[in-house]
Amino acid sequence: MEPTLHKSERPPADAELHRRLVYGDESALAEAYAAYGGLVRRVAVRVTRSQVAAEDVAQEVFAQLWSRPYAFDAGRGSLRTWLSMLAHRRAVDWVRSEARHRKDARADDSALHAIPDAGPGPDETVVDRERSLLLHSALAELPQPQREVVHLAYFAGRTYRQAAVELGIPEGTAKTRLRSALRKLAESLADPPDPAWERGA
Amino acid sequence: MTDDHDGVPELLAAWAFGALQPADEKAVPLHLAECESCAAEAERLRETVRLLDVPPGATSGDGAPETASSNGFAGADGVLAVALRARPAVPRVAAHAAPYAAAVAGLKALLRELDGHAPWGTPVVHDWDVHDTLGHLIAADEQLAVRLGLEARVPPSRITEDTPWEEAWNTRTADVIAHERTRTPEETVAAWSAQAAALLATPEARDPERAARATTLMGVRLPVADHFVVRAFEAWIHTDDIGRALGLAVPPPPPAHLWQLVRLAVRVLGMALGPTAPPVLFAVSGEGDDTQWVLGSEDEPVQGELVLDAVDFCLLVGGRYTPDEVPRGAAGDEDAVRNVLDRAASLAWL
Repeated sequence: MEPTLHKSERPPADAELHRRLVYGDESALAEAYAAYGGLVRRVAVRVTRSQVAAEDVAQEVFAQLWSRPYAFDAGRGSLRTWLSMLAHRRAVDWVRSEARHRKDARADDSALHAIPDAGPGPDETVVDRERSLLLHSALAELPQPQREVVHLAYFAGRTYRQAAVELGIPEGTAKTRLRSALRKLAESLADPPDPAWERGA
Repeated sequence: MTDDHDGVPELLAAWAFGALQPADEKAVPLHLAECESCAAEAERLRETVRLLDVPPGATSGDGAPETASSNGFAGADGVLAVALRARPAVPRVAAHAAPYAAAVAGLKALLRELDGHAPWGTPVVHDWDVHDTLGHLIAADEQLAVRLGLEARVPPSRITEDTPWEEAWNTRTADVIAHERTRTPEETVAAWSAQAAALLATPEARDPERAARATTLMGVRLPVADHFVVRAFEAWIHTDDIGRALGLAVPPPPPAHLWQLVRLAVRVLGMALGPTAPPVLFAVSGEGDDTQWVLGSEDEPVQGELVLDAVDFCLLVGGRYTPDEVPRGAAGDEDAVRNVLDRAASLAWL
């Protein structure tokens, strides 16, 4: 057998909190919320621009943390980035579903990625919104190592050095991952969108 | 990427995200002012970050839910209340039954990961898969359940009064597993879960006085309170088995519960060694506690010392470490120490 089942390389705080969540300690849920509820809402608001949506996202995220504690693996990432990524995915889903509703409501709808003539006024906002959704969909599909660094830098306001320390990776790796990630996002705007984002997975 | 760009290309993404170190803040704009290719890349990346920022008000209007509720922000209470509805609270029980209540909650949480991708047939231990392991737990918990006046959930086995306990135990486990194999994993989980809930709802789980009466189960005479601790022990060990099989790391019980397991195991170990074994100073440490006992004869000077980690000791007693492989600190008479390790492993509790 593996002699080290109970020894984790993750920060002990995450592992301890996870342990208490697993064994049904409600105070651990309250602590997780106190520590990360703000970040989860912030991520959701930045994607949805809606406090109501952010509330829904926060409810889903913390319900998942509590009811499926084993979905989080303290050996594979920090609770901060895991919750941030989960909130982001849920927020993107919320915007997609909202976009679908809006699409249904409009008889003739241009494809979401098509960019109409950039006129002044509300059109510009619509175009930006659609591009933003494309980008966030692409972000949600990035490989986890890249996504983690982006989340720490973009949503959690970490410098690349702080992100590297938090992830336990060399500084150069953090910079490289940020760069690969951002280039991929930039390309996703240029390329036709992956049909995957329409699946609503 | 070369020296003449001063390492700036590597920094451009961090710059675009506003994630530079303060020390880099000056170098990047200085370089961009004189390097066209970097400036173009920088512009492209920063524009991408700008577009990530959804314009304010973008999702309001169009009948968006923003206007549906003006008091939708329920805050912590709302979020926590919704979460707590998604998983029932652990039943409130007395301290002796709390480790079992938590272990049951922990196994339920793990089993939730089987729903959907369902590798119920994944081999776990012995020749059991996940489904069979649950069957075994039904049989194991049933002994205490029946003793506390609950009904057995599976047709009785042919076990006579004078059957040795190990044989009765093995027969019952085999019969229950055979019975559960005719049912779906969901039915088996429901049966295990219902029996666990019934055990935790007995007066003995809630009242330390009623749990003080001694009874013999698995060949050991102990207060009912301790048998509840044994149930926790077994539930955790098998949860850990299932976790290994699924590739999910199962954390050890919370420290307070773990130490309840340790203290009980040391007492049972002391009884098993008897009053004439060569005395050994036995220390268990870790998980916020550190305790020593002298095991064996009280009439002789201590002959050896043994130190084990709390979790490792439990895994040894639970049969998940052999005496050879359990990490330990030892000093003094090797045979005396070995005797303690062998006896701990031979408790073969589970």
